[in-house]
Order: sequence, then structure tokens, then C-alpha cells
Amino acid sequence: MSVMTLAQALNGALDTALDADDRVVLLGEDIGRSGGVFRITDGLLEKYGENRVFDTPVAESGIVGSAFGMAIAGLRPVAEIQFLGFSYPAYDQVINHVARIRNRSAHRFTAPMVIRIPYGGGIGAAEHHSESTEAIYTHIPGLKVVVPSTPHDAKGLLLAAIEDPDPVIFLEPIRSYRAVKEDVPDIYYTEEIGPARVERHGKDITLISWGAMMKETRAAATALEEQGVSVEVLDLRTLSPLDTYSIISSAEKTGRVVVIHEAPRTGGLGGEIAAVIQEQALYSLLGPVRRVTGWDTVFPLKRSEGHYLPSVARILQAAEQTLED
Amino acid sequence: MFSLINPDGTVRDRLPVTLEEMRALYADMVEARTYDQKCMAMQRQGRLATYAPFEGQEAAQIGAAAAIRSDDWVAGTYRDAALMWRAGYPWDLLIAGRTGDERGGKAPEGVNVLPPSITVGGHMVHAVGLAWAERLQGSDRVALTSFGDGATSEGDFHEAMNFAAVFKTPTVFLCQNNQFAISYPRSEQTKATSIAEKADGYGMPGVEVDGNDVAAVLVAVREAAESARNGDGPALIEAVTYRLGPHTTSDDPGRYRDEAEAQEWRQRDPLIRIRILLEKAGGWTPEWQEELETRAAAAIEAAVATAEALPLPTVDEMFERMFAEPTSSLRQQLDEAGT
Amino acid sequence: MAKEFRLPDIGEGLTEAEIVRWLVAEGERVEADQPVVEVETDKAVVEIPSPYAGIVLQHGGAEGETLAVGSVLVVIGEPGESSVPAVPLAPAEQPAVASAAPIVGTISEVAEDLSAPPVEALETGQVKALPIVRKLAREMGVDLNQVVGSGPGGRITREDVLAAVGAAAGGPLPEPEPQPAPEPEPEPAPAPGPQPEGATQPASTEDVRRPMSRLRRTIAANMARSWAEIPHVTTFDDIDATRLLEIRSALGARYELKLPLEALVVKAVIPALETFPEFNATLDGDDLIVHGSHHIGIAVDTPDGLLVAVIRDAGSKGVLELASEVRRLGEGAKARSLSPDEVSGQTFTVSNIGALGGGHGTPIVPPGTTAILSVGRAQEKAIVIDGELAIAPVMPLSLSYDHRVIDGGLGRRFMALVRENLEEPALFLAG
Repeated sequence: MSVMTLAQALNGALDTALDADDRVVLLGEDIGRSGGVFRITDGLLEKYGENRVFDTPVAESGIVGSAFGMAIAGLRPVAEIQFLGFSYPAYDQVINHVARIRNRSAHRFTAPMVIRIPYGGGIGAAEHHSESTEAIYTHIPGLKVVVPSTPHDAKGLLLAAIEDPDPVIFLEPIRSYRAVKEDVPDIYYTEEIGPARVERHGKDITLISWGAMMKETRAAATALEEQGVSVEVLDLRTLSPLDTYSIISSAEKTGRVVVIHEAPRTGGLGGEIAAVIQEQALYSLLGPVRRVTGWDTVFPLKRSEGHYLPSVARILQAAEQTLED
Repeated sequence: MFSLINPDGTVRDRLPVTLEEMRALYADMVEARTYDQKCMAMQRQGRLATYAPFEGQEAAQIGAAAAIRSDDWVAGTYRDAALMWRAGYPWDLLIAGRTGDERGGKAPEGVNVLPPSITVGGHMVHAVGLAWAERLQGSDRVALTSFGDGATSEGDFHEAMNFAAVFKTPTVFLCQNNQFAISYPRSEQTKATSIAEKADGYGMPGVEVDGNDVAAVLVAVREAAESARNGDGPALIEAVTYRLGPHTTSDDPGRYRDEAEAQEWRQRDPLIRIRILLEKAGGWTPEWQEELETRAAAAIEAAVATAEALPLPTVDEMFERMFAEPTSSLRQQLDEAGT
Repeated sequence: MAKEFRLPDIGEGLTEAEIVRWLVAEGERVEADQPVVEVETDKAVVEIPSPYAGIVLQHGGAEGETLAVGSVLVVIGEPGESSVPAVPLAPAEQPAVASAAPIVGTISEVAEDLSAPPVEALETGQVKALPIVRKLAREMGVDLNQVVGSGPGGRITREDVLAAVGAAAGGPLPEPEPQPAPEPEPEPAPAPGPQPEGATQPASTEDVRRPMSRLRRTIAANMARSWAEIPHVTTFDDIDATRLLEIRSALGARYELKLPLEALVVKAVIPALETFPEFNATLDGDDLIVHGSHHIGIAVDTPDGLLVAVIRDAGSKGVLELASEVRRLGEGAKARSLSPDEVSGQTFTVSNIGALGGGHGTPIVPPGTTAILSVGRAQEKAIVIDGELAIAPVMPLSLSYDHRVIDGGLGRRFMALVRENLEEPALFLAG
């Protein structure tokens, strides 16, 4: 057991995976010599050599397409795309090939690969670097999309993703890389892809979120609890497939739900969650499912970031409205 | 341009291919053409969905497939039925694919041929990954990827060529330059003098080959494959050929090309020159031709019957094909869909 | 066996094609896949090969004729055979092409006429209520359009629905009494008026099925619900109504009105409700909502059934005001002209069955409340006062209550207080 940040837990996961399975290889821009722009792959080239860890030319489609071929031919590639906003050149490879090969070949060829992608805002980065467009991946059949918010989950989910016989988009909340830490086992372990984690149990209201927004969600929950409200907090962890069971159970229990995500509102996962709740738990609802989200604007540059990202205050406002319903 | 057998069936130089090999290649091309004609007819009979014929490109495809090993990887396009078949993919699966059945994508075990890529230009980079993985795992398999002149304009062609050279993957890039990307002529697809010379820009060897000369294609691909197998990295082969038929059964080439040009290329039909060559060498008789045609027709008819006997796919299969195990939401949806 | 080959959709966006030229004449032999006919599509002439070998027995049309896709193009078999529909060929996708650009897939040529007149928009309700409340209303037979919402923004709450349910229920079941009591029969709407028992009807021995009126259905649903959910206990008492009736007469003489008994009963009950708030409450899940106000429901007998009209804030009203309310509400109930908040929201119910000659009974507690008091007809009876026989008007009381909330002891104490008040009205008129 060691206390680790999210970044360290991910590094540890990759180290563990490379050690445990010869088929695992890493590829991406600046991941080898430089250890990755966020140091997630730090030390791995030195430890495992240039036949396991590959620096590549600047070519996202090439990276994902090659990883795809590797996966079909028996390896377990973990490809890194440097930022979610740069993944779009590879999007064709992801949705037209990676997500489909099992279907296209009736199980004959499969793509057991992971595409790791740092994402999310609140880091004051240049344009394009703060994207949270997870919905374009969750909408695609044949893909799994995973987002850890804690170091423990990060390591366990990444190892599970690497083990998974199907492709996984592994989104890493940049803002959380070094901002959370906890005890993480040094051994090989996995967290199941799919089930959400009930971080707090409560009966008055449910807050659902994932990724970096868990920080604000937790703070809001604490503030509400100080006011005597019993808050249930769900960390979804897997965005696709959605853990509808946990979502519905919680909605039935509290009757009040607020979903928080930094991704833009329209077409965001909050809509999908609200749809599921009203389909399956309508008569438990004491008020509408509210969504606290990023706006339908281009993610702004640093000086306007405060206008965009959901704040604790906005979450509290939505929660209070819901409690008054 | 590298060639061994002239359009009139005469040989430039000594042929580094045996008579038996030539007869086998010819027999394969006859069967391939039979398949192509049958599919065109079936489409006109309403029994096949849109079909993309390869008439005129038999030498490029059969020659290339014959040049690689049976366990090598092949990643081709929707026009590469002859290539895929010669590499081990059964006719009946190819037909099933064209009737709109995913089971047509299920290559037999041990046949490392991917289902045809429908998107243009997306699959070359797959052959890079496949070859790379083989080398990393210590095997000497190579990956052959086939694509057209149009595909060389796609960004992923560039990324694939670059990665292959940088990582020295044992990938053979076979461009079947059939002069058209639907209606767009090769002369406008790129201002490079040849597609083969693009290889220079990536630091790999490139060679232009008479794509209608099955022996030349065989020799060129074999050389590139063996080179790759020995660890010398990738190569690009441009097989210059002509698409005698339409882009697909939904296309009318009369709208964008001169019939006279197509007729001219018919004089350079890949089958004709080999028949003449074999006849001169005592390896062809009309009886043998008839035998070949009969055998080919029987094989194709049997494949058609097998494909057409496939029962309709069930709704379950659609849900079960997404992952190794369907997720709970897929199971729920299947419940809904099944009622 | 001869086989029919039907004109396929060969991917040119075909719905029909013109036969340009027959390549094989009737009576001639054709091989499988040999072109048998040329047809013209949108832009090009296409050869169609025969799927079968045999003799062309019949052309499906003449040169120049247009055939629809799916109609017989040619019949092939052996001479003398009759044509039989062929086994359908294997299912295949039917791709079509817009003739300008080749694509893969099928586009329907059947165009939907958008110039058709629009469907008229339906009127939708403007009622606001949570889904769970709407569901409750549906189950209880409550028309939300008739309910006034007390929730935020005029939203109808669960309590509002329950109260509306209570307004249409709570009628007691009177014991059979010696005096024949005219019992109103429920009539299917539109009903002209009550038919007294024994009224002459045309003689008929057949069963007649009469659908219940909406009100009756509502009452029925409420009764069923009450009976199912509430464990009823009824406690009985008889009071000496001497003083009560004297005061009623005196007030009536002074103010020249016939004072409805309910007004005095309501006034007498208020102090008891104040002392025992469990009787002025609503059981909601595990919570008992004790109401701050006293809205007393009065059962009104109408031709359509028993309605409960509600005197709002009865605790703040004097006897005369109560009397006027009772009268007004009674008339309004009979005329069905009361507003939603005059027929819902009661916190306790008083039912005067004495007007119908009733005595003791076992009234049913309206849903959403915990108790109901029914008051029967005062009759001269022999009683014992201070050890001596006397004759006094004895008025029967029946108090039903929700045994989940109220125990026997509490029920008796409440009843005792009510009885005290009714036997000596000065006690409650002082308030």
C-alpha cells in the first residue's frame, strides 16, 4: 500500500500491466523518452525497453490504427492520445474500425486495446486542451468508456481495461491528476468496469457525477450535510455501459437527483441519465432531475473558465431547488 | 515499369516462374473472373446488394496473393475479392458479405484475412499494426495491404506509410492503380509522376509493376514480402492496371470515360496474355480451358448455394456481436427488440 | 416445373422498367446467367441475365411495355409446363442509386405528401402535478381539473388529491330503522331525481346493467380504499339532547331561522378536536400530520349521492355563521355548484343521519382523515336521571376512527368530551 496521486496510480497500473503481461505495449506521442506530458508513463521506457514502449510520430490516426492492428494480431496495446481535443483525427479509426471489428467479423477478429486520453478543463490550458466531449464516444456502440476519479479506482479500472477483451476509451481527468491522493495497493487488482461507486449513502437527495467534477460534487454534498440533508453521492466511473441499476436504485430511494458534468449540456450524458430515471423511476420522483453542466459554448480560455465550469455554488443551488420541490 | 510478359503473350526475358506455377495462376484467374461475372449477374437478378467488380485486375490480385504465405495477414478493400479468396477466404463468405450478412466477415481459423474495408484508406494503417505486432511477437509473418489509387490521397495513407517506415514494420503496400476512383481519373488524383515514387518520401523502396502481368506482380510482391520477412522493412508496389467494369453495379462509367479507352485496355486483358503464353509453351488446350471453366462454374455455383442457404440472422446475433459478453443494457434492449 | 422470374430492383432506384429488347425469344432456350432482356432504367439500358436455364415460355411484356418491379418478367421452364411461382430467391438487400451519384444503400421512391392538411392540435390540460400525484389521482378517480392545487405555483399535491377524494366519500351506513327512510337510488347520468323505493316501475324480470355515475364511482373507490387501508373502530354513545334542542329552538325563534343541527354539533366538536388533535389529522406514511385548522366536512345528501361539503376554518366561526354555512353548502352541494375547495380538504367529518331517521351506524372514515362522527335522530326515550325514570330526547352518536392512530381509550375520551358539550351547550358556546 502506498499513498499515491491519480497520476502515480496510473503509472503504477501501467508498470504492473507491463510486468504481468508480455503482450502489453504502450504507444503514443512523447510517452517514452519524456515519460509522457503528464508523466503518466514516466520511467517505463527505461524499465521495459523500446520493444514495449514506443514514442510515435505526431499522427493520432496512425497511433490508433496501428494499435488496432496490433490488438488484432495478439498484443494488448495501450495507446495514448495526448488530449481529448486531439483525438478527433483518430475518431474515424475508433468508430469505423476499433468499435466495429468484432461485429464486422462476427467475433473472428477483436480489438482488446485501451486508448488513454487525458481530458477536462479547469487547468487554464490553451484552446482545445480542455475538452470534455465524452458523449461522442459513449454514443458509439462497441466501445466502453471509463473515467476514474480516485487513485484507487484509476489503477483498478486501468488494469481492468487492459484485461478487457474489447476496446476501452480510458478518460483521465487532468485536473485530478495530482489533486487527489489516497492509499493504493501495490499489487495487481482490478475494479469492475460498469458498476458505479456509491461514495456516500443518503436518503434525501442523490448527486451523480464522474471525473474531476467529483471534487465539487463532494464539497456540495458536505455543505448540504451540514444543513442536515442526507446526501447520496454516486461516482459513475463507467460512462458506457451506464450503471442504470445503481442510478435507478438511488433515484427510487431519494426521489431527488442532480447530475453534474463539465461537458456541455445539450447531448451530454446528463440527458441520458435523466431519460433513464424518468423511464424507470418516474413515480419515485419528487421533482425533476436537474443537470448542472458546462454550457453550450466552446470551452473558454483561462480567464473565462470560472464562468464555465460548474461550481459548488451552482450544484448547491440545483440541489436546494430540488429539495424544495 | 517492371514487367515480364508482354500483352501479346511474349516474354521479355527469362521467366522466373515455372510452367506449372503459370498454369496454376491462370486457373485461379479463370475462377476469379467466373466469380466476378456471376456476382454481376446475381446483382442484376436482385440476389446481391451493390457489387464492386474487379474485372481486369485479376492478375494484380491473384499474383499478389500467390506471392505471400498462407499465414500472412491481408487487409484489402471491397474490390479485392480475388485477392482475399486466393489468400484463403472462401467464395461463399464473400458472397454472404455482399448479401448483407456479418457472418460473411468471419474468416476461417488460420486465415488471417480481415473483412474487406469499406472506408477508403482507413485500413492500410491496420496492416502496419498487424505486421508490427508479428515482429514484436517474434514471428516472421508479413502483412499485405491492398488499396486503390484513390486511397493514396487519404491522410491515413500518409500516416500508414510513415509509421511503417519509421517502425520498420514488415508491411507490403500494394496499390492497385486501376486508373479510377469512381469517376475521378488517376491523372488528377496526384501530380506525382507515379504512385510508386511516393515511397521515396517515406524512406522505403517503391516499384511500379505492370499490374496485368501476373508473373511480374508475383515476383515483385514476393520480393517485397521476403525482404520484409527478413527484417528489411516495408515496401510499396504500384500495380498499374485498369478497372474494366464500373465502380459498382450502381455506377455508369459511360458518364465519365471513353469506351474506346476501355476497349484498348481489353487488349491487355491479364487472362488473354497468359493463355497465349501457355498455349505457346504447350500448357494450354481448348479442352483444358473448358475443364477450367466448368470447374470454376461448379465451385462458384456451390458457393452461391451455400451463401443463399444461410438462414436470416436472428435479432439476438445483432446484440451479441458487440462485445465478448453483452452488457446489461444490451440485454435489456434485446428483450425489448425481441418482442 | 416452370419458374417465374420477377423484375428485381437492381439498384437503379427502380420501381418500374421499360422492356427495350428481348434477347431470347419465346420458345428459345436460355442458359443460366445468360442475358435474356434489356430494360431501361432512369438513364441507362441494363441487361438482365436469367437466373434459370430452360426454354423461355413466356415474356412478361412486349418490347416498349413498362413493367412494375415485382411483376413477372419472364417464365422459364420446359415446353408444355405451366408456370408456378418460383421459390423466392435468397433475401438480398435492394440497393438503389440516385442516378447522379452512385451510393450504397436503398432510397425509397415513394414520396410522402407533406401538403396534406395538418392534424388538429388537441387541447391539453394545464394542470400541474407530479407524476406520482397524477397516478394517485387516476387510481382514486379524481379529476385533477376539479382540484385546486395548494403546492408551489398552484401545483396539486398528494394531500389535495386525498382531500378531493374525501369530499366525495364518508357517507355512513345507517342501521335499519323502524321508520322507512326514503333511500335515494343512484341513477345513471343524466338523472332526473331520486326514485323512492317502491315507486311504480314497468314490470320487468330481466337484469339491468347500469353503469355507475362518475360521482358514484368516485365514492365507490374512496369507500373501498378507506375500508382497505383504515382499521376502523366505531364507538357508540347516546346523549340527552334536551338542552341541545332547547337552545336550538331558542336561537331559531330569536333569529327566525331553522337552525341546522350540524351547526351546533360542529361547534360542540371543535373543543374536542383541539383537546385531541389526533382526530384532526392525516396519516401520511409514518408521519401523522396534525392540521392547524379545523375544516369540518358536512355530509350532504344529494340526489346523486352523498357529498361532503367543507366548512373551512370552522373553529373561528360562531354558531350563526356556521348555520349559514351549513345551509349554503347544503344547497350548493345539491345543486353541484360548489367550488373545489368547498368539497375537499376536510380535517374531520360530521354526518347528520338523523335527518334521514338514522340512529347508530358505522360511518366510514374518509381517506385522508382519522375520524368521523355521525349523529342520529333524537327520539323520546325512557332514561334514568338521578335514579328516577324520565323521558328525554335521546340522540345516538357513532364515532368511527382510524385505530392505527387512535386507541380505544382516546376514542372514549373524545366521545366523552363531545357528549359533555352536546348535553350542556353552554360549555362550547362560551368559546
